[in-house]
Amino acid sequence: MLELDRVTLPEASEALRAQVRAFLAEHPEHLAEPNSDFTTGHDPAFSRKLGERGWIGMTWPAAYGGGERSFFDRYVVTEELLAAGAPVSAHWIADRQSGPLLLRFGTEAQKQAYLPPITRGEAYFSIGMSEPNTGSDLASVRTSAKQVDGGWVINGAKIWTTDAHRNHFLIALVRTAPPEGKNRHVGLSQIIVDLRNDGAKVRPIRNMAGGEDFNEIVFEDVLVPEDRVVGEPGNGWKQVTSELSFERSGPERFLSAFRVLVEFVRMVGADPAPHEAAVIGRIAAHLMTLRRMSASVAGMLNDGKQVDVEAALVKELGNNFEKWLPELTRLAAPADRDARRAWRTAYEQTQLLSPSFTLRGGTREILRGVIARGLGLR
Amino acid sequence: MNEQTNIIVDTATRMFADGVDKALLDAAETGVFPVALWQSVLATGFHSVGSPDSGTGLGELYAFLDVAGASAVPLPLADTLFANAWAGTIDGVSGIGEVAGETIVDVPWGRVAERVIGVVPGSAEIVVVDAVTVLAEGANMAGEPRDTVALPADARRISLARDPLPLLALARAAQSIGALRTVLQSALGYAGEREQFGRTLSNFQAIQHSLAVQAAEVAAARRAVWAAVDSLETDRAEHEVAVAKARVGEAASLVCEAAHQVFGAIGYTHEHRLHHFTRRAWAWREEYGNETFWQQQLGLHIARTGADNVWSFVTGR
Repeated sequence: MLELDRVTLPEASEALRAQVRAFLAEHPEHLAEPNSDFTTGHDPAFSRKLGERGWIGMTWPAAYGGGERSFFDRYVVTEELLAAGAPVSAHWIADRQSGPLLLRFGTEAQKQAYLPPITRGEAYFSIGMSEPNTGSDLASVRTSAKQVDGGWVINGAKIWTTDAHRNHFLIALVRTAPPEGKNRHVGLSQIIVDLRNDGAKVRPIRNMAGGEDFNEIVFEDVLVPEDRVVGEPGNGWKQVTSELSFERSGPERFLSAFRVLVEFVRMVGADPAPHEAAVIGRIAAHLMTLRRMSASVAGMLNDGKQVDVEAALVKELGNNFEKWLPELTRLAAPADRDARRAWRTAYEQTQLLSPSFTLRGGTREILRGVIARGLGLR
Repeated sequence: MNEQTNIIVDTATRMFADGVDKALLDAAETGVFPVALWQSVLATGFHSVGSPDSGTGLGELYAFLDVAGASAVPLPLADTLFANAWAGTIDGVSGIGEVAGETIVDVPWGRVAERVIGVVPGSAEIVVVDAVTVLAEGANMAGEPRDTVALPADARRISLARDPLPLLALARAAQSIGALRTVLQSALGYAGEREQFGRTLSNFQAIQHSLAVQAAEVAAARRAVWAAVDSLETDRAEHEVAVAKARVGEAASLVCEAAHQVFGAIGYTHEHRLHHFTRRAWAWREEYGNETFWQQQLGLHIARTGADNVWSFVTGR
C-alpha cells in the first residue's frame, strides 16, 4: 500500500512564495509568452536573475554556491515559476537533476567546477540517456567511451536531447566496459561532455508542435579529458537510476497545461454555466491533490528518503492530468469565436505539446512498472 | 497522526477485523442490526470520538471513519459520532438525514435510531428528533438502511458553529478511502494467488499496470481526504472538502471498476466479499453531494475569484 505523508508546507516556504510573486511582477519582460511547460522558454537572462536571487541550487551546500534551503522552498519556487509561465528551460535540468547528481556522486573537483556556475544561472545541462536504438530500455545504450592516453574517446549517438543545441554540457550515459554475461548494468558510466568545445555534432530535431527543443548528438572519436567521468567508472547505472527519481515528482509533472485552465476561467467569466463550473472544479480538485502529493515527496526528499515509487506515482497521475485538462476545457468551451481567442491559443499550444508529457522522463508504461514493483508485483 | 489517533486506529482496526465478517454484512443488508458489534463500540467509547468532552476531535473522528470504511462496518457511525458531538452523547445510535418538508429522508438505520437529526443544506441549524417515528424503510445501493422518519413541528433546533453538510460529505469521503484501500489490498492479494496460463495474474503486465493505476488513485484519494481534514479549522475548509469529495468519487469509480476486472467472475458473485466494499464506495459517491455537485461549488468559487487569481486560490491555505 502506498500512502503519501500528510505534509503541510512550512511558513517559511509560504513566505518565500510572496517573494517569488513580487519578483515575477517586477519582470514582466520575461513573461510576454507565458507557457507552463518547463521545456518552453529558454531565457539565459532570466535564469541569471533567478541565480542572483538564490533560486537555483537552493538545497545545495553553500560551499558550492547553494542556498542550503529545504526541498519545500525549492518546491514553492519551482511551482510559482511554472504557474506564471516563466521561461525556465535554460537552467531547469541543471538545477533539478545534473547538479544533484554531481553533488551526490561527482568528484570534489567536479563539484567545485560545475556547481557554482549552475547556481548563478550561467551553466546549462542536458541529459544524455536515449539513443536511436535505446528508449525505455536504457541499459541497452551502445554509445561507448574508451580509455586512452589523456582521457576517453566517445563514439555513438544520443537522441531526444532537450536543448543540447543551446546548453553547455551533457551528462552522457555510455558503456565503458562490456556487460558481464546477462548483467547489462555493469560497465556503464556517466561522462560530462562540453557541447560547445568537445566536437560532438548537435543537430536539432523539429517536433510536431513546430519547436526545435530536442536534438540528435553524434560522437565520432570525440576525446574528453579523464576528469569528466562522474564519480567512478562503472557506477553509471546506479547513478542514472537515482537521478531519475529527482526527475519525476516535481510540479513540472502536472503544471504543463495550467495556463489552459487560467484562460478557460477568463473565457467563461464570473458567471459560468453549471457544466463550465464543474469543469473548473474538476480540474482544480485534481490539481490541488497533485500539489499535496508532490509536496509530500518534497518532504521525503528533505528527510533523505528513497522516493522512486512515490515520484512515479505523482508523475503517472500528473501527466495524465496534464493531458486531459485541455481536453475537458475544449469540450466545455463556449462557441463564441472572439471570446475563445486567448483560451484557444493556450489550448492549441498545449495540445500539440501533450504527446511528450507521458514520454519524457520515463514513459507511462515504465512508470506503471515502477509502481507495480513498489506494490510487490514484480 | 498523534499517539491518541494511533491508539484509536489500532484498536478499531482489531475490533472491526474480528467483529465484521461476511455473515454479519449479509445479515445487516437484510435489516438485522448488528447488536453485538454496537455493544463493543459502546464498550470502548468509540461512539463519542470527536465529542467535546471526549478529549478527541475531528482528526480522530475521521481517522476512525477511515478504519470503519475499510471493514465496511454496518453501523451508522458517522451519524452517531456527529450527533453525539452536536446534541450530546447518548448510548443509542443516531441517524442523520436531510429535512424534506415534514420528514427527514435518507436516515441511516432510522428504524433502530434512538435519535434522528435533520440537516438543511446551506444552513448551520439542525433539527433533533428524540422520539423517532419511521414512515418508510429504504436502502442505498449497498444495502445500507436509509429510512424516512417524521419531523414533528416541535422538534428541537440547534444552531451549530458551522454548516454540517461539508463535515458529513467528508465523512463519506473518509469511509470511502477506507473501503478503497480494502478493495485495492484484496485485488493485490488475489492477483498474487490466482494462476492462469501457468503463472499468477500479478505476472501479467496488463494486470500490473491496472493495479498500479488503482494504487495511484487510492493514494490520491487518501491524500485529498487528509488535506481536507487538516484544513477544517481554516476558512478554506469547505473548498478542501469539495476537493476531497469530488476526487474520492472519481477514484472510487475507477478503482471499483478496475478491481472487479482483476477478480473476474468470482468477484461478481454474492458469495464474495468484494461487493460489500465496491457497492459502498459507489453508493457513498452520491451521498452528501456527488462529484458534480462539489465540482460546481468549487468551480463557481474559482470563477468568481477570477482568472488571474486561480493560482493564488489553488495555493491558498
